[in-house]
Amino acid sequence: MSGPGVVYRVNPVAKLAAALLLSACLVLTVDWVSSAVALTLEIAVLPLAGLPARTFWLRTAAVWIAAPLTAVTIALYGQPSGRVYAEFLFARVSDGSIELAIATLLRVLAIGLPAVVLFVTIDPTDLADGLSQLLHLPSRFVLGALAALRLVGLFADDWRSLALARRARGVADSGRIRRLAGQAFALLVLSLRRGNKLATAMEARGFGSSAHRTWARQSRWRGRDWVMVVIGAAIGAVAVAASVSTGQWNSIVG
Amino acid sequence: MKPVPFHNERARTVTTTSITPTPSTTRSRFRWRVVDIVVASVVGVASGLLFVVWNIASTPVTDPLKALLPGLQALGGGFWLFAGVLTALIVRKPGAALYGELLAAVVSALVGNQWGFLTLLSGLTQGLGAELVFALFLYLNWRFGVAILAGAGAGLAMAITDLTVWYPGSDAPFITIYTIAGVVGGALIAGLLSWLAVRGLAKTGALSRFAAGREIAQRV
Repeated sequence: MSGPGVVYRVNPVAKLAAALLLSACLVLTVDWVSSAVALTLEIAVLPLAGLPARTFWLRTAAVWIAAPLTAVTIALYGQPSGRVYAEFLFARVSDGSIELAIATLLRVLAIGLPAVVLFVTIDPTDLADGLSQLLHLPSRFVLGALAALRLVGLFADDWRSLALARRARGVADSGRIRRLAGQAFALLVLSLRRGNKLATAMEARGFGSSAHRTWARQSRWRGRDWVMVVIGAAIGAVAVAASVSTGQWNSIVG
Repeated sequence: MKPVPFHNERARTVTTTSITPTPSTTRSRFRWRVVDIVVASVVGVASGLLFVVWNIASTPVTDPLKALLPGLQALGGGFWLFAGVLTALIVRKPGAALYGELLAAVVSALVGNQWGFLTLLSGLTQGLGAELVFALFLYLNWRFGVAILAGAGAGLAMAITDLTVWYPGSDAPFITIYTIAGVVGGALIAGLLSWLAVRGLAKTGALSRFAAGREIAQRV
């Protein structure tokens, strides 16, 4: 995956590490201070990533929708405290649950937005190279997963062929849900058969042998990768510091 | 290996693919062959694509459940749990449930969703939930009951993760309902549906290089 922004040129492993450090800090507490601080810093940093605006809004749409919905759940069913504003069945909207809901809203945004920006700019091939060369994960599994990911491109073609074949056989005209389920199953069968063939082909080329593996593409860890990790860790640390120093820290455990 | 008679196209496929030489028969049955890795990966990636659809579709589908009884939405969580059980039931190797669920979570995260890096945490814990059940049976039993239990295990793991990370500070009724719904949804969707899917797949002959496929093929 390529693009104009600097975020495209950062090693995927660095993006994963940055997202891990940031999420780990934010997930330990539910309070509005840590999330608001992190979100503010992220909004300052995200434009520097160089993700095109259209891509950004399209890919983060799910986060913008999910955040308020999660918050509503917490507002209705969060632990009640303080004044109770409304009550029906199990739902109880109170001072405490509204505060939790606001914190949750900010928290979902603060965790989700940077992750989307970091992850949708990851090229799976670069990620596989990084995971096996830098993190030394078992290369048979990493490359097997990458091979399967590359099959995704064929799924769309297969899906169209299956639809045409079904139409030609006259079995595609009724029962939309049933047809979709049947066709999805056929696609799975097709891809498993292709997986079997792919495995044979890979074995024929020596994949999975115990010989020493060399790499066509070197995955390198550069200065900008350190910068990426430091940014992630710094935002998390500042958020935690702000939350602890204002006495808002509200651990998720206990 | 007993050859399957040439009754029809389906049977022919079973025979031709099942005589494909497997590199070694002396290795432990716990060792992953290349075909195990590739097919587990295909299942994981395909499940991940389904996760992506469910990431979007789950909100309108499970919100009415949530309105009916808070916590009941965890029933629908089962559609995020089947990857591990399905992968394990097909390749029958230690770590298969964990690998399948984690890979599906990676696909879901790479496409981009609201859970960010924590998608991988969920994939890890849900995969472990199913994996532990298969491990309890020493990776020897792949029958219906164990599949259901593995789905329930994944559901329990999902409930624990979600309640800790996403719904901290919920009250006791919510926690109870969410956990029960997660376990039931996991058992039904991840357990039962995966088991049925493997039976269906085996009957097509697509699993002829796996014990899971040969068992059913012989029964036909």
